[in-house]
Amino acid sequence: MMGQMMTWLRDPNPASRMQARLGQYYLGWLRLRRNPLAVVGLTIVLALLAMAALAPVLATHDPFAQDLGRRLLPPLTPGNWLGTDDFGRDIWTRIVFGARITLYIVALVAITAPVLGLLVGTVAGYFGGVVDLILMRITDIFLAFPRLILALALVSVLGPGIENAVLAIALTAWPPYARVARAETLTVRGADYIAAVRLQGAGSGRIILGHVIPMCLPSVIIRVTLDMAGVILIAAGLGFLGLGVQPPLPEWGLMISSGRKFLFEQWWVATIPGLAIFIVSLGFNLLGDGLRDVLDPRSSGK
Amino acid sequence: MTLLSVKDLKVTFNTEAGVVEAVRGVSFSLGRERLGIVGESGSGKTMTGRSVLRLIRPPGHIEASEMLFDGIDLMAASEREMRALRGQRIAMVMQDPKYSLNPVMKIGAQLTEGLRLRDKVDKATALAKAIEALEAVQIRDPERVMESYPHELSGGMGQRVMIAMMLIPNPDLLIADEPTSALDVTVQAEVLSILDALVRNRGMGLIFISHDLRLVARFCDRVLVMYKGRVVEELAAKNLMQAQHPYTQGLLNCLPRIGGSRAPLPGLDRTAAWAE
Amino acid sequence: MSLIEIENLSVTYHVGGHDVRAVEGVSLSVAARESYGLVGESGSGKSTILRAICGLAPVSGGTIRIGGEPVGAHRSKAFAARVQMVFQDPYASIHPRHTLDRTLSEPLAIHRLGDTDARVVRALTDVGLPPAFRFRYPHQLSGGQRQRVAIARALMLEPEILLLDEPTSALDASVQAETLNLLNRLREERGLTFLMVSHDLAVIDHMCDRVLVMQHGHAAEELTREALAGAQMQTDYARTLFNASADRMLEA
Repeated sequence: MMGQMMTWLRDPNPASRMQARLGQYYLGWLRLRRNPLAVVGLTIVLALLAMAALAPVLATHDPFAQDLGRRLLPPLTPGNWLGTDDFGRDIWTRIVFGARITLYIVALVAITAPVLGLLVGTVAGYFGGVVDLILMRITDIFLAFPRLILALALVSVLGPGIENAVLAIALTAWPPYARVARAETLTVRGADYIAAVRLQGAGSGRIILGHVIPMCLPSVIIRVTLDMAGVILIAAGLGFLGLGVQPPLPEWGLMISSGRKFLFEQWWVATIPGLAIFIVSLGFNLLGDGLRDVLDPRSSGK
Repeated sequence: MTLLSVKDLKVTFNTEAGVVEAVRGVSFSLGRERLGIVGESGSGKTMTGRSVLRLIRPPGHIEASEMLFDGIDLMAASEREMRALRGQRIAMVMQDPKYSLNPVMKIGAQLTEGLRLRDKVDKATALAKAIEALEAVQIRDPERVMESYPHELSGGMGQRVMIAMMLIPNPDLLIADEPTSALDVTVQAEVLSILDALVRNRGMGLIFISHDLRLVARFCDRVLVMYKGRVVEELAAKNLMQAQHPYTQGLLNCLPRIGGSRAPLPGLDRTAAWAE
Repeated sequence: MSLIEIENLSVTYHVGGHDVRAVEGVSLSVAARESYGLVGESGSGKSTILRAICGLAPVSGGTIRIGGEPVGAHRSKAFAARVQMVFQDPYASIHPRHTLDRTLSEPLAIHRLGDTDARVVRALTDVGLPPAFRFRYPHQLSGGQRQRVAIARALMLEPEILLLDEPTSALDASVQAETLNLLNRLREERGLTFLMVSHDLAVIDHMCDRVLVMQHGHAAEELTREALAGAQMQTDYARTLFNASADRMLEA
């Protein structure tokens, strides 16, 4: 069965679009597999996904249930293997449910910012001239501010909350994608295959969406995975400052913030969510590095 | 006298798609003469040339039962010894000068760099030598060329500079890999005759790698015809038209000729047996 | 009446504040079903003429008429259906992330032509590629096979005129022979008009009825096939080119 599947995927003459695409994915997977660190990254990201999906099963407590009699218990206490926080809530449970919030933020940012960036970048790069000038100066304005500061300003205008935090992060995250997409578009724009499709009478919309964006996509995807660590950190930072997710939601940054008060006596309250952020950021970074080898058009293709 | 002798050279690439044998048992020897290696893309001609300098990157791997250059065993030589050979005694000219010259360094600096660093020659002598080398490749105003950057030169000029640079250390063997393919036909002829004169006058060995049988026939003494990693025929260049092997004949016949017939050009029906 | 008429064409690029005159005052006319060649060395402006015809290079003077109608600043879909181009480098002219199916069906989608499946399969067989290649990616093909795909793509809209920009210079000699044979066969079958650019006089001679020798953006000399074969050129440059042509080397 498995062998059959493999030969089907490696068929040099695929019988359908679907098979051709899956075959390419399979080759990509083979390349990714050669890089052990990328596999580690992928495993971490998959574990995060599983954790979020199975949160009610994995959790040992209710994430909001307070038990002031059992507050600030150290890790490896029977019943609370990662200990409890200042309200006696189980830290493991809150980490598990916090994975959902982290993923929610990451997913929303990953959907919005790169799409906006891609559109701005490819349109600017493809048309050039005045369009390019205007779009890129707007991009520069956004790039001129440190991301966290800009996100802070936006959140303080919009009001704290998880949706506003996502919006703020997305609005500060798109400019680099626009730059990457524009750079890629500039190299692609003059290519013969773009000239060929233009000669066939294709309009600009069709060329950008169907022919330019597929070439920019790999670098943007790599960039997104590498940026995910930053997004998690900014979300955590906003949570830490009380401007993102609001208590009592178990967001990791917020958990660090509340554990700060006990850092010297009860180190685990802040350290464990910190470790979670660290591991997930590392996972995304490793995966991004690996994807670079798989997706980069300069390394594949031949 | 034999300058280079290669026996049973094999180059293999271990890729994710499996083992690719780029060169499969090539043997030849070379005196102070001009040897042409001809073949189509994928025939292994470039790999053969690069193997002599051991310039094959992993996952590529070189094997040979013998590879001797002037008594030096190239297979056993250390990387350090190879570095001493490369450029000094065996030089290589590549297809496109654009990729072989440093784009942010003036030509003069590139020409004298080796002399000054390796041979510890003083500045004035190095400059004089560089100008002499440029004059040897018939560059009329060497002083101006010395002061220019590679992008300011035309393709033919760039390739002459490359040849000049390779010839400064006075190597015994020059490997030219498609040295004129990127050039216009009229320039091509000029560059080739310069190369030809230099090789003759200095008594060097030349390995001329090309896809163009006609060029090779004109500028070499002997020709090796390669197909899929093997030598299918070896013959004196002047006897090219009497080639025996159907592949060589096919390569000659499939080219259109001025004033030739309009009938479909004869194709090459590649018999699998040739590759064996 | 000629199908392609070019009068006094000039193309000027603006590069870094300088004006680069790629083509200056070139006139030529190609009759329907004729095969016309442009030959010259790099920088002679031969490819620029093709690019100017299809709107990829800025025309700064002169007129281009296709079938008597002057072409304007923008090329319409109707123009695309009449004139198509095959590019020099088959590694650069086919979208690396599209399957052949996508590459070949794109022109049909742009022009809202139906019957995609049958047309794509027919196009592949017409250029001598097995239909099983349909869902391959370009990197799974050799250079010659890619150039066949590029030719198939150019013929998808059933144009009258094919502009050929050094279609075989990136290919091996034997593959060049196959590609030239294919082009000649298609021209015969479909009554195409060729305007072909090459640096190789022998290729032009094999393919074309008349040839314009170009140098530094100017037309140097127009030669018929007979004049070329008989070495009856008037200008020195055409003669230099003729003598440097590779197929003369065997005789020399």
